[in-house]
Amino acid sequence: MSQTTLPPAARALEAQALGARLPALLVEATRVANTVAQGVHGRRRVGQGDSFWQYRPFVTGDAPSRIDWRQSARADRVFIRETEWEAAQTVCLWRDGGSTMRWHSKLATADKQNRADQLLLALASLLLRGGERVRLIAPGLRPVAGRAGLETLAAQLDTQSDETGVPPHAPMPRHARAVLIGDMLAPLPDIHAAISRLASLPIRGHMLQVLDPAELGLPYTGRVRFEGVGEQRHMLVPRVEGVRDAYAARLLAQQNGIAAICAAAGWGFSVHRTDHPPEAALLGLYTALAPSVGRR
Amino acid sequence: MLTSVLSTSFAAPWVLLALAALPLLWWLLRVTPPAPRRQVFPAIRLLLGLNATAETPSHTPVWLLALRMLAAGLVIVGLARPVLDAGRDLAGSGPLLLVIDDGWAAAPFWPMRMAAAQAALDRADQGGRQAALLTTAPGADTAPPTSTPLMPVADLRTRLAALRPKPWPTDRVAATAALRTAPVGSVVYLADSIGNLDIFGQALAEHGPVEELRDPGAPLLLLPPQSLADRLVARVVSVPQSVEREVAVLAQSGDGRTLARVTLNIAPGADHAEAAIVLPPELRNRLTRLVVDGQPAIGHVALLDERWRRRPVGMVAGTSISAEAPLTGPLFYLKRALQPYAELREGDLKTLLSRELSVLILADHVVADGPEQAMLADWVEKGGTLIRFAGPGMAEHPDALLPGKLLGGDRQMGGSMSWTQPPGLAAFEADGPFAGLSVPAEVRITRQVLATPVASQPGAANPVWARLADGTPLVTQAPRGSGRIVLFHVTANADWSDLPLSGLFVDMLRRLVAQANGVANSAVEADAIPLAPAETLDGFGQPTTPPSTATALRASALATTPVSPRHPPGLYGPQSGRRALNLGAGIRQLEASAPVPGARLETIGETAQARPIAPLLMAAALALLALDLLVSLRLRGLWRVPASLLLIAALTGPAMAQPENPALVTKLAYLITDDAQVDGIARAGLTGLSDYVNRRTNAALGEPAGVRPGSDDLSFYPLLYWPITPDAAQPSGEAILALNAYMARGGIILIDTRNGGSGQGFAAGAEQALARIGAGLAAPALTPLTSSHVLARSFYLLQDFPGRYAGDTVWVQRDEDRANDSVSPVIIGGHDWAAAWATDAQGHNPYATLPGGARQRVLAYRFGVNLVMYALTGNYKGDQVHVPALLERLGQ
Repeated sequence: MSQTTLPPAARALEAQALGARLPALLVEATRVANTVAQGVHGRRRVGQGDSFWQYRPFVTGDAPSRIDWRQSARADRVFIRETEWEAAQTVCLWRDGGSTMRWHSKLATADKQNRADQLLLALASLLLRGGERVRLIAPGLRPVAGRAGLETLAAQLDTQSDETGVPPHAPMPRHARAVLIGDMLAPLPDIHAAISRLASLPIRGHMLQVLDPAELGLPYTGRVRFEGVGEQRHMLVPRVEGVRDAYAARLLAQQNGIAAICAAAGWGFSVHRTDHPPEAALLGLYTALAPSVGRR
Repeated sequence: MLTSVLSTSFAAPWVLLALAALPLLWWLLRVTPPAPRRQVFPAIRLLLGLNATAETPSHTPVWLLALRMLAAGLVIVGLARPVLDAGRDLAGSGPLLLVIDDGWAAAPFWPMRMAAAQAALDRADQGGRQAALLTTAPGADTAPPTSTPLMPVADLRTRLAALRPKPWPTDRVAATAALRTAPVGSVVYLADSIGNLDIFGQALAEHGPVEELRDPGAPLLLLPPQSLADRLVARVVSVPQSVEREVAVLAQSGDGRTLARVTLNIAPGADHAEAAIVLPPELRNRLTRLVVDGQPAIGHVALLDERWRRRPVGMVAGTSISAEAPLTGPLFYLKRALQPYAELREGDLKTLLSRELSVLILADHVVADGPEQAMLADWVEKGGTLIRFAGPGMAEHPDALLPGKLLGGDRQMGGSMSWTQPPGLAAFEADGPFAGLSVPAEVRITRQVLATPVASQPGAANPVWARLADGTPLVTQAPRGSGRIVLFHVTANADWSDLPLSGLFVDMLRRLVAQANGVANSAVEADAIPLAPAETLDGFGQPTTPPSTATALRASALATTPVSPRHPPGLYGPQSGRRALNLGAGIRQLEASAPVPGARLETIGETAQARPIAPLLMAAALALLALDLLVSLRLRGLWRVPASLLLIAALTGPAMAQPENPALVTKLAYLITDDAQVDGIARAGLTGLSDYVNRRTNAALGEPAGVRPGSDDLSFYPLLYWPITPDAAQPSGEAILALNAYMARGGIILIDTRNGGSGQGFAAGAEQALARIGAGLAAPALTPLTSSHVLARSFYLLQDFPGRYAGDTVWVQRDEDRANDSVSPVIIGGHDWAAAWATDAQGHNPYATLPGGARQRVLAYRFGVNLVMYALTGNYKGDQVHVPALLERLGQ
């Protein structure tokens, strides 16, 4: 549709507009030092940063240049101004680029890949605004940072199309966060292998299954010959109404399996329908990446 | 229905063999499941290997199979080209003798008869038979009916096409004779079902098997009307029928316009009916024919001549020298009173009485004893009306031709030597001929002759028709024979009274003349010269030139001469004195004929035509296949019912009529009077006016509306047309309130009494009705509408304001009311404007204008345009009044 033909810069703008409706998303920074870069995440401790943390009395050994003369002039003692230690985190994003994603039924206006791209770029926009570093899970790509990075990301996204249905092998920073978006119709062992590989780094994250409403409800009737997307498999269903319940059960089993895999790896899992507004899904990703009180 | 099924035949019966292939088709359709629908689906991995809990039947449902088989069967049967009612074969064998009654009674259903005859020839043609034709009416060359020789059907068709109904009766005796020489075979007889058929029917039955075809309706004959004093009585005779019939008779003038229309109801079982045609004398004199509304036929036409029309009035004065002296001569006043309404003749008594005469007026003429008196008395006895005016001569020498015996001398009232004042007139009695005339107060009688008082006998007509205020008779009368003698006890000039100076004099004379017998009843007949045929009617009642065989006949024979080829119906005599010979003149009743014994009886038009039904079958098959397509789509899930219903609703939705909001279109309106005819005229009139206004001006008027004040909102209509009917009901209180509010807020009501000027007498009593109805209306003080009023110059510059009638005064508001733009809230007149504006569906004007002419119609429309402009723009054109003064001031 029209959205798939947009140039990368326009898609980035579109995603930015979507992301602008949410407050800047602050990913909880983990404590792992080697993945930390200078960022805007307050560490609740003294360090390098821009935010004011505290004044403390000058003690011998402190560099005289650190004296805050304005505060010192108000009292008899000499004070040193300390700032909060701020750090950035890398978030790895991936969306399924397979041909099964480029399909939509009459019940939805946009195909699944379009929606996945939109969600991914919106999330990236939020993260970049929050000062995080963002990278795609693909071999040979570097993380981007800053607002200008969004267009780079959108351009990189256009080149990604693999048919495996799971994230590819790529060297990933340890202790990063990951967000995987796709229809997740691949066999469960494939998904399990991919999640396990990421979790062993260790990387924690969230998985979003994007499905067309027709895939959820199978709203066809009568005698239908179903054909796969971009593959030769087909199946003649004499009476779709008769298989609807069995199909729903299979879909539920797939989703339960993914949810179990994710739960075992400490990941989150949610489902998004393309006929629902993308903001809901973005909010879900936001809550998944935001600091959760219980998990600290 | 059974017969129609039985009479089905096939043009290509071998195609029906294909029906044998239907079981094969059944088998083929059964083994082929419906084609699946293709659907791309990404999650096919989840679908693979699923087993459906309930299978779609892979075989086509039986009912769908049956539907398809039916469609296929219809196609096959349709291709075999079946024909319903292909026509039965003619009975018997040998040639066909086609016998056709082509007398006057055959004319009304002539096209159907010709079609039936052609159908009979078709059947003969199919049977490969020859045919002959026998018509039962004598030909125009007076030749008796003969049979044509036997000839091929194709040749006979041309003869049949040339056949026309004759304006005279059939001659069955001659036809019976002709039948003897006719070829023997089967007979098809197109009967007119009147007249004695015994001998002829027997002859037909002996001739061969007979099929008798009768007209769908009974023949109808319009008799010449009876001429009474104040009306014509239209009469029709027919064959008695078991149902009530309604016949409309139109009274038409010489230019073909219909001046009156009456409806006759022939009761079940009755063989005749009559109805009165009441027309003002001047209109009645214009009538030239009565026509039964419907199919043209000679039996539906009755020509009128002088006998029905004119009432010649002869006038003789006592002293012929000063008789016509202006203002003093008696004939001066009589002439002016009667000129517009009657044909006046002058001369001496002998000359006058030698011609037909309806009324003779003697103004102070003393009838001498002897031949003159005998001649006059004889004329009166035979139906003449003698009107006499008194005078000095009569006062001295009363003669015998008077209603009563006169006292000698005269009576003088008032004057310088008298105490008494000259008396006026008493009101006219209700049973006299002057009933209803208003008595002007200024009429005074100064001298009169007195008659010996006669006690009026019970049961006899009142001998006194008018009295003075003191009770002495002014007008007395006495019937004599079939005529009447009327005496005015005053002179015909202003010497003795003011009566000749008043309008009452005109009305009284008009009533008397109208009451007189027509000349038809007078026995005076100029019988010397035979009357040559001038214009004859053909079988359809259309005027033609007389055939060469038509011969002259004497006036005295007119009434008794039967119509025949020698004397076809029509007009006879010179231009000045045309006499009508009518078909119905010699016929008193019609006799229904018994059917031919042993004949197969059928009614023309009810015999079924051969109907090929192949297109119907094909259409049904197509419809079934379309249904099958929809069903298949539905089975494959490609077609959903709600969507298609929505589509149908969307397609048909706009076609539904919405009640129009009257505020959206400017439209004229009329008040519904509940008189269907008046309402129809008002509607047609306003429609015609709206069209005219739309054509000629920038105003855009919609379809006119009928409104009921009080229940409908009047505020949308700029102009209300209100025709007043004499029997109009009193409007309700709400209606009066609504009309008053409408007038107060700038609306205009055009009130039309439809009896003004030249139309006086058309809607008698409308003025009284207006006075009764308008009592509650807040009408302002009125003044006559003049050419200086804005209404006379709002679009066209008008001098008078005619409608269907002309010459009456139109009234508008006297005082200018600035509140409503000086627009007169009410305009009252009697010109029957709606009838002048009315147009029918063809755009013609159905109502003749009086006195007539295209100019009057144009002026009527122009008045209408002015009226609409006046209603729409108010006094916008009021400045036009000042144009002459402005031009003068500018020095132009």
